[in-house]
Amino acid sequence: MAGLTLLDVGLVLLALAAAGLLARRVGQSVIPAYLLVGMLVGPHAPTLWGFRPTLVADPETVAVFADLGVVLLLFFVGLELSLDALFEKGRQVLAGGAIDVGVSLPLGFAVGVLLGFDWVASLVLAGVLFNSSTVIVAKLLLELDWIANPESEAILSVVVVEDVATAGYLAVLSAVLLGATDVVALAVDVAVVVALVAAGAVVALRGTRVVERVLDVESGELFVLLALGVAATVAGLGARSGVGAAVAAFLFGAAVGRTTLTDRVEGLLSPSRDLFAALFFAAVGLATDPALITAEAWAVAVAVAVTIPGQFVSGYYAGRQFDLEPRRAFRVGAALAPRGEFALVIAALAASVGTTPVLTERVPAFTVGYVLATSVLGTLVMRHSDRLWAALPWADAA
Amino acid sequence: MPVRETDLPNVGRKYELDLATGGRLSVVIGHDGTRTLYRQPEGGGDAERVAELTGEEARQFGAVLGGAYFQPAESETADVPVGDARIEWFDVDADSPLAGNSVGDSAIRAETGATLLAIQRGADTIANPGAGEVIEAGDVLVTLGTREEQRELAQRVNKDSDA
Repeated sequence: MAGLTLLDVGLVLLALAAAGLLARRVGQSVIPAYLLVGMLVGPHAPTLWGFRPTLVADPETVAVFADLGVVLLLFFVGLELSLDALFEKGRQVLAGGAIDVGVSLPLGFAVGVLLGFDWVASLVLAGVLFNSSTVIVAKLLLELDWIANPESEAILSVVVVEDVATAGYLAVLSAVLLGATDVVALAVDVAVVVALVAAGAVVALRGTRVVERVLDVESGELFVLLALGVAATVAGLGARSGVGAAVAAFLFGAAVGRTTLTDRVEGLLSPSRDLFAALFFAAVGLATDPALITAEAWAVAVAVAVTIPGQFVSGYYAGRQFDLEPRRAFRVGAALAPRGEFALVIAALAASVGTTPVLTERVPAFTVGYVLATSVLGTLVMRHSDRLWAALPWADAA
Repeated sequence: MPVRETDLPNVGRKYELDLATGGRLSVVIGHDGTRTLYRQPEGGGDAERVAELTGEEARQFGAVLGGAYFQPAESETADVPVGDARIEWFDVDADSPLAGNSVGDSAIRAETGATLLAIQRGADTIANPGAGEVIEAGDVLVTLGTREEQRELAQRVNKDSDA
């Protein structure tokens, strides 16, 4: 199948816009909407009334844009990582983050094992299942007017810890997936990656001046090109070196986050991030066969039934670390429920470098099903968390 | 009361002020530049959104809150551009050389190039004042002229003014 025509691209973008508008209208995140559009116009599109709406027959044609989406998502994680702010409330953030990640990550691994996946696939699922969606959470905090409340500081801090944990996790995961079968060789691979990431982190922390000088151009247009160019190059080199594109992009973001350019990058690059992230979500949808999701429906149901209540518990205790009253700590649990972009990033990594059909087909299909379910359900529990709290038998109504 | 500043990763920054009259006022400045104003009741209730302002609106309104905006009787801050020229307001103090002189004797146009559009006297506005009109202490002169001409005029209105 030849590449895309202008008409194909136009129709796909229109479909994404329409689905996004519809999602907004019903108070939902755009992420599940983009995923569904991807599935609807992809090679696995279902036949509707004798008509097959496939527009993109080969997901590879949009792969590079999807990769840019991942690079930008991770770049912004680095950019938002304010070490000073973390140290300011260091103990609370570390304790809250440790409780959240320390409970959710092993819980995800256990769910993987429970569902009969091997340990590598379970490791992938651990990453998929623990990861709250920064995009959905940040948006809903503003929409629900929680943003000026004390719980928002706790929620956003925990999300940052989760995101940083994800960046580190991705580095280890790519070593595991690429790597070796015996334990010693694997340990060596992981050690090499950790050393490379540590070296990268030192460069990122020390290189503030250099980054600032390189990116210091007046014109907005050239600034965007330059920043995107450096981010993609750094990510590409990261992929070559075995550290992984995502981690390299994260480290570059962290380096930029320490310069005085942060606000400018934020303002000028956010639109690019949103566009390419949308294409990433659509690309994940394109590669997904709805029939495979149906086959994973039970597994998804079990995972949701375990991880969402689990998230409420770990989120509650994480929130308590920030000295929040019980009602607000409960909101922390609710706010951490939506899953989204990073679960999909992890599954996409598994799909692209995995060697077994479990990693390349079952895990991605499961993940898309899980994200569809939890992004919608998570948005709902967040919206109605006060009502849920009031319904709890042990909740003090005050 | 000091303003408390908090970083909100992925959203922006939050500034909080505990009010002397009770409750708390917060402003969240998003990465996209929107400023959202929240009010929290006393006793730790949920914050209520009061208003959402664009960057430009916030600057204007901030100036109002700070008392630096719209003071038409203060010549230094009031100035309305009209092409190259601008309209300015000048206070005539009791010790101003112009106080007590007629408009004709003051020869504002001849001396400075600026045009006297009107005299504000208390609640009255004397538009396009005639040559016989006498400028009084406490008047506000409304004038049109380039920046140069206005500076020239400022020195004539108040001798000690270094504007």
